[in-house]
Amino acid sequence: MESRIIASNLADLYKKAADKYETLPAFATRKTALEWNPVSFRELFEMGQDLAAGLIEIGVDAREHVGLFSDNRLEWMLAEYGIQLSGAVNVPRGRDVTDDELVYIINHAGIRVAFVENSELQKKILRLRPDLPGLQEIILLDEKTKPAEGVRPLKEITAIGAWQRKKGDKSVEERMNQIRPDDLFTLIYTSGTTGRPKGVMLTHSNMMSQMSVIPIDLSCTDRVLSILPIWHIFERVFEVYTICCGSCTYYTSPRTLGEDLKNVEPTFMGSAPRLWESLHQRILENVRAAHPVRRALFHIAYFLGHYYKESIFFLNNNHLQIKRYPFWKRLFFTPFHLLRLLILVPWYGFFNVAVLETIRQSAGGNLKATVSGGGALPMEIDKFFNYIGIPVLEGYGLTETSPVLAARTHEILVTGTVGPPVPDTEIRIVDIESGKILYPDPEHPHNGRGLRGEIWAKGPQVMKGYYREPEITRSVLNDGWFRTGDLGMITFNDCIKILGRSKSTIVLSNGENLEPEPLEMQLRQSRYIDNCMLVGQDQKYVGALIVPKLDAFREENIPAESLKDLSDDVRAKKIIRQEIKNLMTATSGVKQFEQIREFRLLSEPFRIGDELTNLFKLKRHVVEKKYERTIRDIFLPKEVKTRS
Amino acid sequence: MELELKTQLLYPIDQTLLGVMILIIMFGMGASLTVDDFKAVARRSRGVLIGFLSQFGVMPLVALSLALLLDLSPGFAIALILIGCLPGGTTSNMFTYFARGSVALSISMTTASTIVALFMMPILLSLYTQGFTQQITDMMIAADTGTEFVIPTLNIITSLVLVLVPVAMGMTLRRFSPGWAKTAEDTAGFMAIIVILFLLGTLFVRHGDILVRTPWQLYVGTIGVGLIGFFFGYWMSRLFGVQPLFQRAISLETGIQNGPVSFAIILLSFSEPIQSQMIWVAILYSAFIVMTSSFITLWMRKRGRFDYEVYRNTLVHNRLFGENYVTGYPAGFLPARIAHDPSQGSSPSQIR
Repeated sequence: MESRIIASNLADLYKKAADKYETLPAFATRKTALEWNPVSFRELFEMGQDLAAGLIEIGVDAREHVGLFSDNRLEWMLAEYGIQLSGAVNVPRGRDVTDDELVYIINHAGIRVAFVENSELQKKILRLRPDLPGLQEIILLDEKTKPAEGVRPLKEITAIGAWQRKKGDKSVEERMNQIRPDDLFTLIYTSGTTGRPKGVMLTHSNMMSQMSVIPIDLSCTDRVLSILPIWHIFERVFEVYTICCGSCTYYTSPRTLGEDLKNVEPTFMGSAPRLWESLHQRILENVRAAHPVRRALFHIAYFLGHYYKESIFFLNNNHLQIKRYPFWKRLFFTPFHLLRLLILVPWYGFFNVAVLETIRQSAGGNLKATVSGGGALPMEIDKFFNYIGIPVLEGYGLTETSPVLAARTHEILVTGTVGPPVPDTEIRIVDIESGKILYPDPEHPHNGRGLRGEIWAKGPQVMKGYYREPEITRSVLNDGWFRTGDLGMITFNDCIKILGRSKSTIVLSNGENLEPEPLEMQLRQSRYIDNCMLVGQDQKYVGALIVPKLDAFREENIPAESLKDLSDDVRAKKIIRQEIKNLMTATSGVKQFEQIREFRLLSEPFRIGDELTNLFKLKRHVVEKKYERTIRDIFLPKEVKTRS
Repeated sequence: MELELKTQLLYPIDQTLLGVMILIIMFGMGASLTVDDFKAVARRSRGVLIGFLSQFGVMPLVALSLALLLDLSPGFAIALILIGCLPGGTTSNMFTYFARGSVALSISMTTASTIVALFMMPILLSLYTQGFTQQITDMMIAADTGTEFVIPTLNIITSLVLVLVPVAMGMTLRRFSPGWAKTAEDTAGFMAIIVILFLLGTLFVRHGDILVRTPWQLYVGTIGVGLIGFFFGYWMSRLFGVQPLFQRAISLETGIQNGPVSFAIILLSFSEPIQSQMIWVAILYSAFIVMTSSFITLWMRKRGRFDYEVYRNTLVHNRLFGENYVTGYPAGFLPARIAHDPSQGSSPSQIR
């Protein structure tokens, strides 16, 4: 039973949700494993109105930018309610915001009022205060932290507002009525993978368009587990969507995820590829540790799941079609797949029940589907989850497109792609060098399907622009068309396939171009490799920086205390060299010039906030700078190396 | 309506294989049970009683009526009634799980019926098969192969007790190593399919046209007994006002009988001329029940989806927000059939 709310702006949505869902739980926060605190839609809205009245009272104007520096927590949502209901704009950023970013964002966005999460952030913002001339009010979210001088606790603002409303103040209602669809609801600063942060301006109508196109059915009985940073648009849209559907969001953390999956029994979960990778690893580790009979049963089950699902995909026309799939071939193979399906069904049925179900139990057992976004999901893992019966609806989008441009649905579930564009969204594939439109263009065979180029998008979700950056805005936004900077193609069953970032392309000195991401993804499949980055711009061959996985080497009896010990270990190098050889084969699609000739084991992992974005994407320029000497060493001529 | 066989239906090798399969399956069944499951029977007495009524009250009657209506020959008829009187098997637990029924109730019913069958089965069997045993006696006297045919009550009890030995062994394993027990459970299920398929395969090789020569009444009987069982189980529990979750469990438990037990009884207690016929009936039933219950399960799963989601949500809310938390769904969200059901959202869950 679907029950989406249709609203004209976020404030309106929050009001309608309270009217419709009243006492249903909207959010739940964990106290202990089996003790959670629910907050209902009505409570949240009432508290939000109080906070909004308080904000208005302390001088927040309509359409003013309000900072919100915090990770996922109930108070984040409360602050969001307060900001939206007072007609202001939410400028969010996570707990791990660096000094430079904090100063840049507050000054660039002209923030006068800012929420901070805890004592750490409170200290940070107070220390930087001399650099923040415009900042007037700091509001502390965490109740347990003692507010420093000049910092107000959240409770105080809420109390002021509650008092005002009690006296009959109607300013919140007035503000809500004044919101226009074209007004901003948020300004999100993306650190991206290059350059200084840019403020992406998203409007209420951007958000509302997303509410109507998300191809997932949720209702009052659904439970959504939330683990991604809320200030990231992917998670944020999702949480607003759960409000829209009356579902309850449960906040979890990487530390408690395993436990929470069991206790909350989520019916839905959205996460970044990294989580699926680790869940996949965990399942495989369990299988490896199980005794031979169970292992054999698992392999039989997986085998059956594989061929059963592949036949289903084929018969539904949901197999990856990078080239045109001729009609005669379909005619020829259809009976084959039908027959295979018929033979497999009883066996698959049994193993699905006896073996695969227990594996699905480790993910809570009630997952209807999962969404992956915020980065490319490795094909292997994508297929793994689909084969064992947890459909992965991979989506595609950017902060600038708030974010969903395309998503797989239950009907169109083509692994290896990010699904068809969502309704009302136009997609173009544009040649990078010539700037010519490749798709859709009737001049090209099949309207340009199967040709690779940069993805451009146009639709109701595309941002208004970058805040106070007209130059940069013009360079990516033209006549409503947004240049995503991603390489991709349209498959022959009209799905989008992502082929990498156009900007991270490595050009070797012989002129060969390669996309590092798919190759890195392949390498990360290894149980010995934690993370890696390919290098080789303007060099003769490809090199790699590799962060090894310490545990895996300990299992091989290589006594290493830290990554540092490992980085010079001859045996470790030998193992990695063999792994690279095994993973980067011609049969897995790696071309000759893409082969890694040299690599270095790093003595430190990549850290979130430094080398990685919050969604575990590599900040290539940071890594390149940090390991400048190591990279230079990789490409030194051999004889020089032996001498030194 | 006689099924003439050129040679014996099962060779000694098949019989041994079947024996081993029964051992393994019953061991696997034991491995899925704990002592707590027996204790739980008392807590779910109402559901178990209704299940008991439909398993030992309705099912044998259904089997008898089918045998009479279809005018089955005595060997087939006795076998069908035997199947009607069987206790529930562990496969019903698995199907119940996927049909979104109450697995706990299903396990309780399996446990209870297996124990009760010790004395219920012989009583029911001799009660309902009277007419047919007389027919066989007449035939035997006419052919001068014997004097009187009686249901071997004592042998049946012995076979039932024998079958319970591996169950007890499985439970012991479960007690000491849950991990191995789980493996034994899965392996048993897998083995059962393999053996059934192997038996069917060899039967086809030896008696290629057996499927053609089997009278149609027998097909109707072996398929019908399960299907009608599902039907009655479902409606009876509904009439008693049991909630949907239990309806599905009782329905499946009624229709799905413990096939391996019937093999054990037939092999150990009966002899030719009717043994081969009875075995064939048991094989047909075992093969068809997997198919029919698969379809029924899919249907129930689809039908019960909404109720189940509400139930699950209530359960999680009570688990995390406290026993007394009441989930307040918007007006009109819950359909009338579960709106006032105490377990479905308007008050704390009573079932664990």
